[in-house]
Amino acid sequence: MKKQASGLIWTIILSVVSALYLYPIIMVLLNSLKKESAITTAGAFTAPTAETFAGLENYVSALTSQGFGKSLFYSLFITISSVALILLCCSMCAWYISRVNNLLSRMMYLLCAFSMVVPFQMVMFTLSQTADRFRLFFIRFNNPYTICFIYLGFGAGLAVFMFTGFMRSVPIEIEEAAMIDGCSPLQTYFRVVFPILRPTMISVGILETMWVWNDYLLPTLVLDIKKYRTIPMLIQYFRGSYGTVEMGAMMASIMLTVIPVVIIYILGQKHIIKGVLAGAVKG
Amino acid sequence: MAEVILKNIKKVYPHSEKKRRRGEQEKKTNLKVTDEGVLAVQDFNLTIADREFIVLVGPSGCGKSTTLRMIAGLEEISGGDLLIDGKRVNDIAPKDRDIAMVFQSYALYPHMTVYENMAFSLKLRKIDPQEIDRKVREAAEILDITQYLDRRPKALSGGQRQRVAIGRAIVRNPKVFLMDEPLSNLDAKLRNQMRAEIIKLRQRIDTTFVYVTHDQTEAMTLGDRIVIMKDGVIQQVGTPQEVFDHPANLFVAGFIGMPRMNLFDASLVLENGRYAVKLGELYVELSEDKQKRLAAKNVAPQEITLGVRPEHISLAGNAAGAVRGTVDVSEMMGSAIHLHANVGGSDVIIIVQTANLSDEEKAGFAMGKEIAFTFSGSIAHVFDRESGKNLEF
Ligand SMILES: Nc1ncnc2c1ncn2[C@@H]1O[C@H](COP(=O)(O)OP(=O)(O)OP(=O)(O)O)[C@@H](O)[C@H]1O
Ligand SMILES: [Mg+2]
Repeated sequence: MKKQASGLIWTIILSVVSALYLYPIIMVLLNSLKKESAITTAGAFTAPTAETFAGLENYVSALTSQGFGKSLFYSLFITISSVALILLCCSMCAWYISRVNNLLSRMMYLLCAFSMVVPFQMVMFTLSQTADRFRLFFIRFNNPYTICFIYLGFGAGLAVFMFTGFMRSVPIEIEEAAMIDGCSPLQTYFRVVFPILRPTMISVGILETMWVWNDYLLPTLVLDIKKYRTIPMLIQYFRGSYGTVEMGAMMASIMLTVIPVVIIYILGQKHIIKGVLAGAVKG
Repeated sequence: MAEVILKNIKKVYPHSEKKRRRGEQEKKTNLKVTDEGVLAVQDFNLTIADREFIVLVGPSGCGKSTTLRMIAGLEEISGGDLLIDGKRVNDIAPKDRDIAMVFQSYALYPHMTVYENMAFSLKLRKIDPQEIDRKVREAAEILDITQYLDRRPKALSGGQRQRVAIGRAIVRNPKVFLMDEPLSNLDAKLRNQMRAEIIKLRQRIDTTFVYVTHDQTEAMTLGDRIVIMKDGVIQQVGTPQEVFDHPANLFVAGFIGMPRMNLFDASLVLENGRYAVKLGELYVELSEDKQKRLAAKNVAPQEITLGVRPEHISLAGNAAGAVRGTVDVSEMMGSAIHLHANVGGSDVIIIVQTANLSDEEKAGFAMGKEIAFTFSGSIAHVFDRESGKNLEF
């Protein structure tokens, strides 16, 4: 009896909490289906009625609005390149950290753990200055094609941490067997270690994808707003043809950005939980 | 197929930084510790003939795996020379040494099927796919795993995984076949079965084997020669019969043979140019070959540790001129009875074969019963009391 009662209480508390999380999204969803004129502060929570219901009109106008296609391309490109780079580099780094026991590897591990603790806000101004001025062999980092290197830096902490946690639970004999079977170190990595890391790749990949795709602050600081806009930036600067903010289209495009992430998360949920646990228990 | 020569092989594990800073020394084992670090293996000299089956055996931590891993190239050799087929391979990568290894933990590639596991090394060597297929299927046939070729290792039992691990090694047709305690993760029954299969396998693939185990039964049944190690030092190298009949020192005497060899404080005497051992009232003249060996070394009469195996002790009818004791425990094993007797305060084990005993006699070894026993001069082992060395060598 007691157990049931406390279970009920928890259910209520958690329902309230999840409702708090969900209400902005629901609000956006409701308003994205209303006509522009019906989106008011007072009526933010009313469901669209027969007169105010706009169908998919807002979505169409968001999708066809100027710059949306370009922004989608930038967002996709940045997300894919950053996540791919993070997965490749961080898994290699974790392999080194977990297999080589020297001062360098210990320092690298601590550094990665430390980078997770430092809030982004602490470094963002220096970062934007650096990104503007720094160049490496004429490569600049303030455009969508190379911004993945900045993401690599900020994503490395979590990724290396999770990969190392998993890698340490993999017996080294498997790699030794590969070496005897005739693998060079690179072959050992790509043909043996990489496939073994796959479950962790998936969970790290999903976490990093959600972060990069949704990120607003970093591209705003680093990219030239006039030239390049990712989708989160585009939403912020959503303007109608007369300089007014088109609320309907804005709500619709927010929904459009959220949907892929939700789908990815639902598909990969199982892996995320597994991956995070592997890192937590064995790391 | 190749000769493997180990010359003065040495392995030093450097002190860990922390311990060095604290000036502490590792004290877990009796390994020799120098300034450089812990000497896990030292003065390892061994010539392994072509197609020989060598077994490295010894207690945990004696350096067996370290030695094997040095042959494989997984562990750096700190000193000495390793020659395979006449070529020095100290600095050659594992993949170029043409060896194959079976690990205790199997170490199969979890993301590949059994077939892919076995084909992997051949694929890396860019061998013709048809040839690979033929070799893999042939090996699978030998090991009786053909029906599992499409499965992942996760879906196999321990014994089946072990077969796959062996299969992965034999498809390569390596010069040297290394195995590190391949059977120790299996249960007793499966272990016996796999042991028999390794013997059969050996006849079929006829190559040089180096096999590590801590199990003396495996060592005795599999090895052409056994290398017994302790604290990183070879104690004796010989055929199973040799190390059983002529243990080089007390450690080998105690390590080989079940139950353990009985040890007595006795004296070696020399009367009329003939060596004999004296244990209480018992006076046993040693056999001819022992006489010769002792005489050749000119061994002086002295206090010794006498070793006699339980199965070599025979009960004496009358007590005159025999060693006396009382039965503490009598264990009926079926074909034999193991008597634990108290002789002057120390425990002695005697194995009595039951084949020629009447039921009455079998039941007669009750606790507290007085017994007397003797042994012959051909199986009495004389060890130096201080160093524990066999005086015959
Ligand atoms: N990395 C290391 N650093 C320091 N000492 C080590 C290291 N690896 C092994 N040793 C020591 O070297 C000795 C030999 O180890 P090894 O693994 O060869 O023993 P083993 O004979 O295979 O024992 P087991 O039967 O338990 O497998 C051990 O005493 C061990 O403590
Ligand atoms: Mg070992």
